[in-house]
Amino acid sequence: MTESRYSERGDRSQNGERSERPRRFVSRPKFCQFCSDKNLVIDYKNVEMMSRYINETGKIRPRRQTGACAKHQREVAKAVKNARHIALLPFEGDFWTENN
Amino acid sequence: MHNYELIFILQADLDEASLNTAVDNVETLIKNNGGEIAKIDRWGKRKLAYPINKANEGYYVFVDFNYKPEEVAGLKRTLGYNEQVLRHIVVRKA
Repeated sequence: MTESRYSERGDRSQNGERSERPRRFVSRPKFCQFCSDKNLVIDYKNVEMMSRYINETGKIRPRRQTGACAKHQREVAKAVKNARHIALLPFEGDFWTENN
Repeated sequence: MHNYELIFILQADLDEASLNTAVDNVETLIKNNGGEIAKIDRWGKRKLAYPINKANEGYYVFVDFNYKPEEVAGLKRTLGYNEQVLRHIVVRKA
């Protein structure tokens, strides 16, 4: 149980326990792509962009996957919800396979 | 006056004339209440990500406009009463 949790949160320091454990998950250097690129606007109308922030089941992807900072993750979440309301994104389910 | 954007989805099975009148009605409604329309963009027929009122397709219309904040509620209400409009969203731009 605990093993799997550590691998999921590989970027989190766990009171020095981490050094003894062989790491299976190597975390990428994370930065917020919206902070580093000011021209990148979070737009709920852009389906191609918004579909990157939901997973196969239609859920909003967590920060540890999107790499967004807290501020921009809130904006992403809001945009996904707007896009869902006007049926650009699904509330549930895989819409890539259904659309093709 | 603030800058807003509106997207509304019309029933896709309407004929050309009723689509045009529906869009014109929204346009005149905004103008009559002191709004200024910057852009109307018809995205046309699109597949919906999920069925709305048993419809799988919708006719998307995007409107970029300036409007008084107190008038927005009335615009939303009118769109809500219109049965040809499946969904609508009004977002104030930052």
